[in-house]
Amino acid sequence: MVSRGRPEVPHQLHRLANGLRVVLHEDHHLPLVAVNLWYHVGSKNERPGRTGLAHLFEHMLFQGSAHVGTNDHFRLVQQVGGVANGSTWYDRTNYYETLPAPALDLGLWLEADRMGFLLEALTEEKLANQRQVVINERRQRVDNQPYGRALERLHELLYPEGHPYRWPVIGYLDDIAAATLDDVRQFFSTHYVPANAVLTLAGDFDPAAALERVARWFGDLPAAPRPAPVAAPADPPSAGERRAELPDEVRLPRVYLGFRAPAYGAPDWYAGSMLAAALASGKSSVLYQDLVYRRQIAQEVGVYLYPTELEATLIVVATAKPGVEAAEIERALDDHLARAAAAPPDGADLERARNQVLTNAYEQLESVEGKADLLSHYTTHFDDPGRLGSELETYHSLAPEDLRSFAARHLADDRRAVVTVVPAGGGA
Amino acid sequence: LTDRLDRTRPPLPGPGRATRFPAFARLPLANGVQILAIELRRAPLVSLELACRAGAELDPPARRGLATFTAGLLDEGTARRSSSEIAAGVEGLGGSLGTGADWNAAYLRIGLLSTHRRAGLELLAELVAQPIFPEAEVERLRRQRLAELLRRRDEPGILADERLARVLYGDGPYGSSLIGDEAAVASYSRADCESFYRTHFAPDASFLLAAGDLGVEELAERAGEHLDAWPRPAAAAAPPAPARPLPRAGLTIDIVDRPAAAQTELRIGHAGVPKRHPDRAALTVANAMLGGKFTSRINLNLRERHGYTYGAFSRFAERRGPGPFVIGAAVGNDVAGAAAREILTELERMRQEPPPEPELAETRSYLLGVFPYGLQTADDLVRKLAEIAVHGLPDDYYRRHLEAIEATAAADVERVARTHLDPARAAIVAAGPADALRPQLEELGPVTVSPAPR
Repeated sequence: MVSRGRPEVPHQLHRLANGLRVVLHEDHHLPLVAVNLWYHVGSKNERPGRTGLAHLFEHMLFQGSAHVGTNDHFRLVQQVGGVANGSTWYDRTNYYETLPAPALDLGLWLEADRMGFLLEALTEEKLANQRQVVINERRQRVDNQPYGRALERLHELLYPEGHPYRWPVIGYLDDIAAATLDDVRQFFSTHYVPANAVLTLAGDFDPAAALERVARWFGDLPAAPRPAPVAAPADPPSAGERRAELPDEVRLPRVYLGFRAPAYGAPDWYAGSMLAAALASGKSSVLYQDLVYRRQIAQEVGVYLYPTELEATLIVVATAKPGVEAAEIERALDDHLARAAAAPPDGADLERARNQVLTNAYEQLESVEGKADLLSHYTTHFDDPGRLGSELETYHSLAPEDLRSFAARHLADDRRAVVTVVPAGGGA
Repeated sequence: LTDRLDRTRPPLPGPGRATRFPAFARLPLANGVQILAIELRRAPLVSLELACRAGAELDPPARRGLATFTAGLLDEGTARRSSSEIAAGVEGLGGSLGTGADWNAAYLRIGLLSTHRRAGLELLAELVAQPIFPEAEVERLRRQRLAELLRRRDEPGILADERLARVLYGDGPYGSSLIGDEAAVASYSRADCESFYRTHFAPDASFLLAAGDLGVEELAERAGEHLDAWPRPAAAAAPPAPARPLPRAGLTIDIVDRPAAAQTELRIGHAGVPKRHPDRAALTVANAMLGGKFTSRINLNLRERHGYTYGAFSRFAERRGPGPFVIGAAVGNDVAGAAAREILTELERMRQEPPPEPELAETRSYLLGVFPYGLQTADDLVRKLAEIAVHGLPDDYYRRHLEAIEATAAADVERVARTHLDPARAAIVAAGPADALRPQLEELGPVTVSPAPR
């Protein structure tokens, strides 16, 4: 039945002796089960010179393990009627399958095999192949995309040398090409240990039976210490705003503003997230109504706050209309940020952002994979699979003044970075 | 643990319970609108869509893109509400509103909390029945679209797709982008939009599709009240001329020159079959095997064997007429010729050899198994209902389609591959640096180079 209260995902949390955390959520609506495994490792655990390793490593996890043949991961999942994928980000890497319910054991077997028995199946040949695949992925997503290098440049300007959020998750081309089997082995041994992972199952199963299956496949994988957390280096004294202009194969100029905000989970992070929604989520948002609708100087606008755990990156982006200079767009964005810092937002803008958060939460809970991913996310970041309730409470309790205060403290910062992408050869 | 753990063999499942598409209600309103609705008490959400057979196949020849443009104006003003009021109304409730059109149909979609379902339905009815196409909004959307057309010239994948469409269909339907070109967009008048709307947005060509936390009876009752005011047009519109691919004598190769590109967007294709073709189910199996899933022949060849690409796909478009069959991949500039050759070889292999039984069984099992995966959310169900409505498919379409997939034999796959795959007359399009591409592609046939649009 539909819950008339607030969105929630009833669950159990267990911890195996080797430290693996297991979250279980029953949902018998359809005969499906989502298997969702998060490792608390991402690009922030890399070092300069070997950027992109976490993501390249994610690719290697689909190349087979001791008992799983090279192309068998996808083959086995697809032959039973399942879907599978993985993704890498700054703080975490995840792997997931949605399977017909009777195939739960297959999903557990696959995940346990690559958690426990990857190294014996690693070969130079597989690595060489996946290096080429990832180099092509980078070209497709970054180097051959209009504006493709802008975010990379923004992060380089925003974060100091050695900061783990300075380099792109996909890594630099030369670093990807330089990755060795030893790098991959080392990365696996350090980070892919049971205590650094969360396994969530959501769907059509009996929890007691499912837990028994999990214990069976994962229980005897050896325990190893959790890797030490990464610390951000101390910031050098501020040198003021940093800027770059990137000529690119584009027709319309685009402006990116980057700011550094409190880490995901801090009360202020939620104020920032709500401010981002008030400013740019939907056609009735403040920036859209002014820049796109009324003045028609921008083609599109966006404000994003990353849920990252060392600190959060806030990005404001707007694409100019033909004939409009990047500088005019930047001035308009600056005006709005100054306004957000000077006065609290309109009550209607806050109410809209609040309602959007609630609708989005319910939408995430419509699918078993959506729920599983959310439970893994909260457990990885907060050790609390039930964090959704308190997050929604936090959102609900925010006052207009909290948004103003966030803007005043974090968006008027002289540590900000600006990247403008302009048509190569000048003139739109 | 009592039994010994055997990790050496995959624990493969026995058969699960089969999932059927949920029963749905089909209710006609007096003015001809048909309601297709499913109650889904999963989350307090509803998804509502008004779909109308007013897609881009109906674009007047000198007004390509008019269908999407007209659909985009439906939420830009009614007799009662301005553009900004409409957006603020839906978004203020936490909901989202979208309008648009594809080749088959135009649509308006609203998703919101079910507590607001009445307001959502009322708004949807108002937008589809009482748009006023304000002059200022027409001009604003025109500028927006002209800028969008400029922006798309920077997108290598779009350049390749559009060139392929032009090569296959010329100036006719399916030959341009859904949003038209600069000349057409510059020429739309407010009267064009209104005329397209009056002619094609007819209640008896329209469907209200609904899924989620709602009661079907209540929905039908409210829909009747709100959509009542939407009159039938005086005269029925003539059915659209069927899209017709250009005749093809042999392989063609087109390079869209982007001298500084870091990669090449490669497309290989030809005209396919209409959505409602008797071979559709067997083609779905053949295409999945060829390029429709991760473990397809083309993806394993280009990505896992050769490392030429991050991913390769193939698909048969689902349109009322014979839309394109397209294979695509973004490949390294130095391997584009080799990648094209591998793709042509895989196409030929599909035609020459019946598929091995294990590969066929895995493919059928995949297509049947993932079916419930696409039935989870209210949006999923509305999309599936729209497919039935827009294409005029029977209510038991999904059951029949799954049964036909299950019954597809190796000989069927070989037959549809021979009938519907035509590598000898395929069009190859490569958007990338001509200097590097030309010598590689010339080994396959004569090459035409044209600059990317400036």
